[in-house]
Amino acid sequence: MTVALTLAVAFVVIAIAWPILSMVGSSLTGEALPVFVRYLTPPQNQILINTVILGLSVATLGSLLGFLFAYVQVRVPLPRLMKRFMHLMALLPIVSPPFALALAAIILFGRAGFITHDLLGLDVNIYGLHGMVLVMSLSFFPVAYITLSGLLRALDPALDEAATNLGASRWRTFRTVTLPLLLPGIASGFLLLFVEALADLGNPIVLGGNFQVLASRLYLAIIGQYDVLAGAVLGILLLVPSLIVYFVHRYYAERASVVSVTGKPSGRPIELTHRPVAIILTALAMLVSLLVALMYGTIVFGAFTNLVGVDNTLTLDNFAFVLFGYGLKAVSDTVLLAGIATPIAGLLGVVIAFLVVRGQFIGRGALDFGTMLGVAVPGTVFGIGYLLAFNTPLEVGGFAIFPKLTGGAGLLGGAVAIVLIFIVRSTPGGLRSGAAALQQIDPTIEEASVSLGADQATTFRRVVLPLIRPAFLTGLIYSFARSMTAISAIIFLTTPATRIMTQQILNETNSARFGNALAYCVILILIVCVAIGLLYLIIGSSTRVDRALDPTTTVPST
Amino acid sequence: MTAPAMVKLERLTKRFRSPETREVVAVDDVSLELAGGSFVTLLGPSGCGKTTTLRLIAGFETPTTGRILVDGADVSRRTPDKREMGMVFQSYALFPHLTVFENVAYGLRLRRRSGSDLRAAVERTLALVNLHGLGGRRPSELSGGQQQRVALARAMAIEPRVLLFDEPLSNLDAKLRVSLRAEIRRIQQQLGITSVYVTHDQSEAMALSDVVVVMNAGRVEQTGPPDQVYRRPATRFVADFIGRANFVEVEVVAPDAESAEVTILGQRMRIPAATGHRAGSIATAVVRPESIRVGAGDLRATVQRSTFLGPLAEYELSIGDQVLLAVDPDWMGGGLHGVGEEVACSVRADQAYMLPPNAPAEVAPEDPDAV
Repeated sequence: MTVALTLAVAFVVIAIAWPILSMVGSSLTGEALPVFVRYLTPPQNQILINTVILGLSVATLGSLLGFLFAYVQVRVPLPRLMKRFMHLMALLPIVSPPFALALAAIILFGRAGFITHDLLGLDVNIYGLHGMVLVMSLSFFPVAYITLSGLLRALDPALDEAATNLGASRWRTFRTVTLPLLLPGIASGFLLLFVEALADLGNPIVLGGNFQVLASRLYLAIIGQYDVLAGAVLGILLLVPSLIVYFVHRYYAERASVVSVTGKPSGRPIELTHRPVAIILTALAMLVSLLVALMYGTIVFGAFTNLVGVDNTLTLDNFAFVLFGYGLKAVSDTVLLAGIATPIAGLLGVVIAFLVVRGQFIGRGALDFGTMLGVAVPGTVFGIGYLLAFNTPLEVGGFAIFPKLTGGAGLLGGAVAIVLIFIVRSTPGGLRSGAAALQQIDPTIEEASVSLGADQATTFRRVVLPLIRPAFLTGLIYSFARSMTAISAIIFLTTPATRIMTQQILNETNSARFGNALAYCVILILIVCVAIGLLYLIIGSSTRVDRALDPTTTVPST
Repeated sequence: MTAPAMVKLERLTKRFRSPETREVVAVDDVSLELAGGSFVTLLGPSGCGKTTTLRLIAGFETPTTGRILVDGADVSRRTPDKREMGMVFQSYALFPHLTVFENVAYGLRLRRRSGSDLRAAVERTLALVNLHGLGGRRPSELSGGQQQRVALARAMAIEPRVLLFDEPLSNLDAKLRVSLRAEIRRIQQQLGITSVYVTHDQSEAMALSDVVVVMNAGRVEQTGPPDQVYRRPATRFVADFIGRANFVEVEVVAPDAESAEVTILGQRMRIPAATGHRAGSIATAVVRPESIRVGAGDLRATVQRSTFLGPLAEYELSIGDQVLLAVDPDWMGGGLHGVGEEVACSVRADQAYMLPPNAPAEVAPEDPDAV
């Protein structure tokens, strides 16, 4: 317990708090003041305004999409195959690299776009706010979809029946019962989408055009102008709203999880039987699903062509480049670093979850909060923080007690910093799923283990861990997917010695070598999918443990 | 107030068809007539079709065939929101985002009630269920029993033609169940609303109802007042599901209209009987455990098992190869009997009942939830 606690605290202090505080520190100097003034007054405050507009637009459209998909999935009677397809299309964006959809959008809807130019003969500019809103909404709406479909499923169908029984029409029931009960979930999804949109770096770089937002301006300040001070100031401007919104989201997310007050939900969910509405909703969701499918089809197709849209001859050159040429090192480096970070983050997540849920010490809340900063704080802010905190070794009396981590001369060519940031960014996922699972487990089960003579470490290993195995698995999958697709946090930390795939995708995109970029995307998606498959194989499917936790069924022999 | 609604179910059948399983007949040709203001309980083991019948009346399911009439008007195709039936759900289904007041007011607002009129109606209903002053609470701030009362108040507030109850007490503990069922009965009598109540708990059914409808496998086994169903079960299933029963083989000697001369446990006596028996045939008689007098009589039995329950002593007695369950409420007078002891006993002839001939041999399943 004490060892675990010490490790957890050290992790939060060194890998999370210190970099953030370093950035805050360097933005609180006298010379930073004029920079603040510059970005908070016209004309430069437009960047801030743009950022908010982008965040609100993406959050709104993404929430609508998430709700649409969740509602159709849970409440509209449809053939199973159709539901599976829509479900899959809604989840695909989670495992795909940040630029994939943006590239597909350019190829399909850009100035020389296959659909807009070749098919429709339009002269459309995809670059700018509308392009970003389209792509980012499609990329981020799965979060809202998952939350809301879970909530819709958990709603007691008798609630709808009670309203109807008292005389409410279908629309009235939806408006006065279903919608209000989903509101915390909708709010939580909306705010999370807002934070994600604020923090996203990939799409603004690729699709932003002249529409500058904080994240892309910050990228320019560091990469283009080597202006760390401006970076730190922009980081603060990004950090403060993100943090506030994120923790408001957490408040709603917690409320959303307790919608059902009494008894057991009975029966199957109410189905929407009003045909016109059902048809419209289904058509909309299907249209979006097909769009996502088309975009991923474009990604795969483009990966096999020299320059999709211009030269559509099929080729394997792009894959040769990625798998056997220059790209190989990026692929192996990324898989290695993400592979190192994943088990550490997964374990750290459940250990911290255990400490937070079951621990008796003061500062449990702080530990939870500190760990959650890993996702609440935009990745670019961490990038700058790491640059500021770890670019020089920490010396006490001439001895380096903490080595230089970042840059090519950093420990192991900067690889340690990248692994660390992967862990920081993905531990919160494991923490949340672990905490949720632990709260379902009666503490007396652990007390029983202790009373039989097991110490706390043994109890954790032999009793708690097996019980929360599904959550642990979720944490691992989340960690790996998140590490593989990370861009904003590591973009300032990659070095010639450690190449990262997402960084390479950006490079290829900027050099208009779409074929290579798309081949990277395809490989990356495949790696993540294979890894998920492997994790399922190793850790086992969740159903058995779920069944074991359900007292109404017989406990299996294992 | 209008006269209480008369509800009639005409040859109601509901078949479910799911893609994985074959067709299931949940309700099979059920016909019932509910008098205005009566309290009718649908009683049966799980899966007997009682809840589906209730949901058909409420309108949450549409009958495959058959009709539902309320005061002569066919409501079978009417959507639930147009049926004016208040339902109390097993899970209560209180709206968690609304206060107690707003939960009760929900149906009234839909009926365009507002202002002081609405407030008065809600307060009156809350007072009726003894929840006065709790209108400002959220459902999550109430105990299970209080939540149940809110659910009841919400259903009653709209002054429905019919009140429907779907095992409303099954989530409460035993003591609360007993006190709340008395309250439900009191309120129903006070308002005179025709009520249909679904339960698998036979003691609940007997305590509450004017009429008990025993269901099994989608069909009605017997309909009647609780005491009638208890004393004169129509089938072996009913006898076994309602209360406890000894089934004793008898030889019919001389049957007449309502009783029969029989040989039971080697003794000749006249017991109440269903009609249709022929002299010389073998039939089954139901003997309730309390209808066996322990400690007096011409029968000699050996005590196989003896359980002391406080107000009663319960015995398993063997007479020849027949094992009988008997309870002795007068154990203080006659003393307790131990296992292996020989005791005298007798069957109270007027309390036994000979089932109709060829009654189906099926026996009700053990019900672990029964009180």
